[in-house]
Parts: sequence; C-alpha cells; structure tokens
Amino acid sequence: MEMVAERVEIEIAAAAPGVPLVRHALRGLLSGLDVDEDVIADIALAVTEACTNAVVHAYAGHDHEGTIHVIATHVDGSLAVTVRDHGNGMSARVDTPGLGVGLPVIAAIAQSIEIGAPDTGDGTEVRMRFALAGGAE
Amino acid sequence: MTNGATNGIDVERVGDVDVVTLRGEHDLSTADDVSRHIESALGTATGLAIDLSETTFIDSAVLRVLITAQENAAKRGAGFAIAVAETSGHGVHRLLTLTGLDAKLSMRPSREDAIAAASG
Repeated sequence: MEMVAERVEIEIAAAAPGVPLVRHALRGLLSGLDVDEDVIADIALAVTEACTNAVVHAYAGHDHEGTIHVIATHVDGSLAVTVRDHGNGMSARVDTPGLGVGLPVIAAIAQSIEIGAPDTGDGTEVRMRFALAGGAE
Repeated sequence: MTNGATNGIDVERVGDVDVVTLRGEHDLSTADDVSRHIESALGTATGLAIDLSETTFIDSAVLRVLITAQENAAKRGAGFAIAVAETSGHGVHRLLTLTGLDAKLSMRPSREDAIAAASG
C-alpha cells in the first residue's frame, strides 16, 4: 500500500503578519503527530527565520507585494519544509540589514538545508529537513 | 507550551525602573511594536528591565530589538537587564543559545533579579 504523507501548504503575502500564520499552521500539523514539544519549538523557530528572511529580503525594491509559499510534508519520521518566494534571489540579499543569524539558526536545527532557485522561475527556495524524533542535535 | 498564552506587551514602572513584559509570542510581526514600547520606556526611566519570563517565542527580529535596546540603554547611561527564566519558552532559550547572544546580553534568571540589576 502506498504511504500517504501528511502535508500542509500555505501561501502568505510577503509581509510580517504572515510569519506567525505559517508557524501556527506548522504546529497544527505537528500537534497531530507524536512529536516532542521542544522539537516542535525548534522547527517553529527555524521555519520562522526562513519566512522572516523571505519577508524582509525577497521583494525589497519591488513595487508590488509578493507572496511566500510554504510546503511542509511529513514522511518517515522527518518533516520536509520548503519556503519559496519569487523575488530577488540570493544575490540581492548581501547588502540588506539584519542580524545575519537566520540561516545559522536554521542550519543548527535542521538535519539539512538547501538554498537555490525554484524550478519554476525567479526567486529563492529554502529546503529544510527536520528529524521529528529526539531533535537534530 | 507553544501557543496557549495571550500575546501582548505591558509596561510597568517599578521604582525607578520601567519593566517591559513580553507575553506569548513575538516575531517580525510585533518587533516594531516591541521596539516602540522599549524606546518609550527608555525615554523616561533611569533603568529598563525586559521581562521574557512569560514569553513563549521570539525570533531574530525581536532579538535585534533587544540588542539595540541594550546598546541604547548603555548610551544613555541607563541600567538594563533582561529576565530569561525557566518559565520562558524553549524557543527563547534556544535562540539565545544558538546565536551566542546569551553571553552578550545582560540576562538575569527572574523578573525580580532583572529589575534589581536595571536599577543599578
């Protein structure tokens, strides 16, 4: 029998109010699984940082409000999360302000992180994978 | 605890210290509001304590506000401390530890300790 993966997909406007919406949606998915509260908190932090990066940087200089697309899929004891925007891409982010701690925080929490352009066109896609049992330390 | 608390920002004067309490979750969506409350408090008090003992979540946007607050307090000669207690959320402790800023921010283990430290 083919395994069915639980999946949450959410699209938000690339603006600050959308960031907690993504976090709450993720918690909703994980609360239905047997996942430790601290692991959920770690994933919430990492995905929040990815979304914040996208909100702050992806559409800087654009004259229209863009969107951020988040897909979280639970497969075989891990959670794969993709945060995708269709904005400036990575190269435009080097001169923007910030603490610069977002990606290191994600890297410390996630089992793996990949950053690249989406298959579908412009922008940036952050692909993260998290262990759901016992954390990723 | 993840999302059961009511989010909010309270400011209370205790002696010569303004105490800014962050309840619940704070991130990019509330960082500007947090910053405004802190700046307002810094303008009138001789000391500033930021209480995170009822905070369940912060992200790097709020962390940036806290760092700026500590820098501004130092410039103005005001006392400053942040309460990060056992009751603070896992995400609060985690972010401070992962960034190494737990060693750079003036942190105390309770609201009372932070108020005492901020009052100089």
